[in-house]
Amino acid sequence: MIVMAKRSNSGKVQYGEPVGVVTAQSLGERSTQMVLRTFHQAGVSSEVISAGLPRLIEIVDARKRAKHALMTIRFDKGIAKDYERVKEIKQKLEEVSINTLINGFDENLKNGTMLLHFDKDAMSAHSITLRKVMEILSSRFPDIEVSNEGNEVTIRYKKRKDVRGVRTAFVHVRDEIVSGVEGIQKAVINSEGETFYIAVSGSNLKGVMDIEGVRPENIYTNDIFEVLSVFGIEAARNAIANEIAYVFDIEKASMNFKHIALLADTMTYSGTIKSVGRHGVAGDKESVFARAAYEETIKHFVNAGFFSETDRLRGVAENIIIGRQITVGTGKVKLMIKNEELERFKPEDGEKE
Amino acid sequence: MGKESALCTIFVDGKNIGRVSDGAAFATEIRANRRKGLLSGEINVAFIKELNEVHINADKGRVRKPYIVVENGKSKLDDQLMEKVRSKEIDFNYLVRRGIIEYLDAEEEENIYAAMRENEINSKTTHLEVDPAIMFGVTVNGSVFPEFNSVGKHPLAWQLMKQAQALPVMNFSNRFGARSFLLHYPQAPLIDSVTYRAANLSKHANGQNLIVAVTTYHGYNMSDAVVVNRASIERGIGRSSFFKTYADEERRYPGGQQDRFTIPSPTVEGYEGEQAYTKLGEDGIVEEEMEVNEGDIVIGKVSPPRFLEEQTAFGAGIDKSRDNSVKLKAGESGVVDNVMVTETSGATKIVKVVVRSEMFPEHGDKMGSRHAQKGVIGSIIPQEEMPFTSSGIVPDLLLNPMGLPNRMTAGHILEMLGAKATCVNGIIGDGTPFARKGNDLIKEYGDVLERSGYDRYGNEMLYDGRTGRRLKSEIFIGPVYYFRLSQMTKLKLQVRSRGPVQILTRQPTEGKPRSGGIRFEEMQRDALVGHGASILLKDRMLDQSDKDSVWICRECGDTGYMDRVKNVPVCPMCGGTSKLESVEISYAFKLLLDELKSMHILARINLKSD
Repeated sequence: MIVMAKRSNSGKVQYGEPVGVVTAQSLGERSTQMVLRTFHQAGVSSEVISAGLPRLIEIVDARKRAKHALMTIRFDKGIAKDYERVKEIKQKLEEVSINTLINGFDENLKNGTMLLHFDKDAMSAHSITLRKVMEILSSRFPDIEVSNEGNEVTIRYKKRKDVRGVRTAFVHVRDEIVSGVEGIQKAVINSEGETFYIAVSGSNLKGVMDIEGVRPENIYTNDIFEVLSVFGIEAARNAIANEIAYVFDIEKASMNFKHIALLADTMTYSGTIKSVGRHGVAGDKESVFARAAYEETIKHFVNAGFFSETDRLRGVAENIIIGRQITVGTGKVKLMIKNEELERFKPEDGEKE
Repeated sequence: MGKESALCTIFVDGKNIGRVSDGAAFATEIRANRRKGLLSGEINVAFIKELNEVHINADKGRVRKPYIVVENGKSKLDDQLMEKVRSKEIDFNYLVRRGIIEYLDAEEEENIYAAMRENEINSKTTHLEVDPAIMFGVTVNGSVFPEFNSVGKHPLAWQLMKQAQALPVMNFSNRFGARSFLLHYPQAPLIDSVTYRAANLSKHANGQNLIVAVTTYHGYNMSDAVVVNRASIERGIGRSSFFKTYADEERRYPGGQQDRFTIPSPTVEGYEGEQAYTKLGEDGIVEEEMEVNEGDIVIGKVSPPRFLEEQTAFGAGIDKSRDNSVKLKAGESGVVDNVMVTETSGATKIVKVVVRSEMFPEHGDKMGSRHAQKGVIGSIIPQEEMPFTSSGIVPDLLLNPMGLPNRMTAGHILEMLGAKATCVNGIIGDGTPFARKGNDLIKEYGDVLERSGYDRYGNEMLYDGRTGRRLKSEIFIGPVYYFRLSQMTKLKLQVRSRGPVQILTRQPTEGKPRSGGIRFEEMQRDALVGHGASILLKDRMLDQSDKDSVWICRECGDTGYMDRVKNVPVCPMCGGTSKLESVEISYAFKLLLDELKSMHILARINLKSD
């Protein structure tokens, strides 16, 4: 208990401590280090991840599409140690498009037909039958007729006068995904002792959670917006913090997690993810001067004039601009005295004023 | 294809001109004809086996290097010819004309098999290097024993040599370069190299042979600093002149007006008082050998007014010209060395004034050797307090031994040893790259030293100048060729507590010539914010910078001004006089408010009493 109390107290900060600036300095110093030396991780098979400064910028900029989305999927106890069953699930996960199942195709734009040469080996590798493929195609594309002759599938576009339409339709057909979870490009089975787990590139939380045998509570994704849409803002906040901590961890640039947590909090306290920059955290500052000092000076002043904004001069930047004491640190405290108490300090008799 | 591909393509200066059946024989024939003198020696030919192409180059811009031709396993430059060369009967160009030495370009070099030395020639050898040192250029060969130094140190060493103050030209007194240095007592190095001999560099020496002891001195030469003997400086070590040229011209302006070199008359705008122009001669240019200090005017110049005058009732008779004289900037001083008056090609009169100042080595001046061993002077110690040898030699410079091992500049140590041997036997040592083997050199120098009663590795017993006690360990001591580098305290030192401010923002100026301060910028600001040091931050950003008090109207929030006639503050917006308060703000902020007003944005300031 004493240790815990000590730890707890050591984590406290003084009243008026400019934690934001200290956070910015801590993160900033470490990220300049990262520009100079970036550790390149030896890739686990196809597991390409963006790490280092680019990944940090990606998170902090709140980019909707992460360059390399990754998920780690774990399974129920009975399945996790069974390689065959994990492999089965892997097949369910990976996106399979028509393109990967065919050897080639022959287009006849004049007749509006396309001949697809299906590859038997590829189909069995993904455990898909030709019948299923044809079912999927005819149900998803109402404008085409599907017929087959062995492994040759003929696709006939009904409105064959429209050559442009024929072409686009055929491209869509070839790109059509016939099995797997949408957005999941590649799955790799890894092991952790005796248990197996699957690492996939691409992210689709909802789709993966629905698969039988997957433990929904043990899925991890590094796509922050996915976390936001599935689990909500609190989870997204944790995801941001963990991802940033992970970036620094790889680079062996450790720092107090509180700094990272503060950054994640600033990005998410409004209920949505705000980027750090003029479109997010810095752009939403209360003070006109603080915003104008950062970027797009003229725009902010003109808008402030337009809408008759008032600057309460409560932040740091605006007070430095006008030349007042700043409102953090030693400038946070003010000396006050009650009027009636003043009586006590009246000069005593005989003492000069 | 088939048959055609067996033919070898010929390119002349990159243009395909035809084919031959045997490219190698073709190239050999051209070479033979070139050596006979039938073809120009500037032609180079290369047979490229992989492509089956012959490239003949005769264009400009190729870097070429001379080689001695070897035929039948024998150098064509035989003893007989060498004897003629020695007796100056024939010269290098004769050998080139006769095809004994030929210049090869980068492409032809790919076809040869060159021996580095004559005894390495075998039956396959086609060429012989003129000298191993020729693999380097002039600058590399300018350093001594470079093969004993770390590769990465070489560029740094040449960089240093470029910065050395020297005797660069003999007509320095007639020169008007912007900045130049002149070393007063240059010495020829005790160890030289091919470049020194070939380019006669010893006549244009850029350094001095200093007696260097590799030892510490009470911490004054830590972190690459050096300790220098005061008496050595007084004897002239590193003493130099610094020449700076101040130039100006009589510019012509549209409308027929032009500048004039003259002593400005008191009616001129910006006249600085009679006292300021006393050093100028009748022509408005400073007299030669006049002592000038910072702020002194060296060229008096009057320029026409910036804006065209309005016609007054008195006519255009009033002289509105302004003083546009050339002054010495902050921290500059010296003696006027030379004055030149001439004209440009556009018949504009120009004046150049050279001011010379003497530079004695002082704390913070940079010194360096030919082995990228550079350092600033950490302390100047009186001769009595320097260590001395048993024979009474006092070193000029104390070099910290910590600078040597991790930089791997063994050449520096070898130079000390060699130069010490030179001092003993009077023969200038040779530091040409790859001329000798290191062990041979050490043995040779050691023998010379030992014969004269010195330690063969250059170590000596030293005595502490302060106490007279013998130092506990032997100390490596010997002469090193040292440069005085152009980085000098006198040209860089600048401090400021109060000083000039910028006109626009009223913030302190920046940079040495304007005696400016050191900028306190955003990141520095963040550091103070991070510490919560609010008063210190305000001190930096306001009190010590552009503090100003501005009248602000309580009613409308606009800035007012002080009516000096009635002695009351006035608000121009609401015309009131009593509701204004004096508020201390940054002048830059006031400027911002004014600029916003120019954009039709009025920022009202609501005052609140604390």
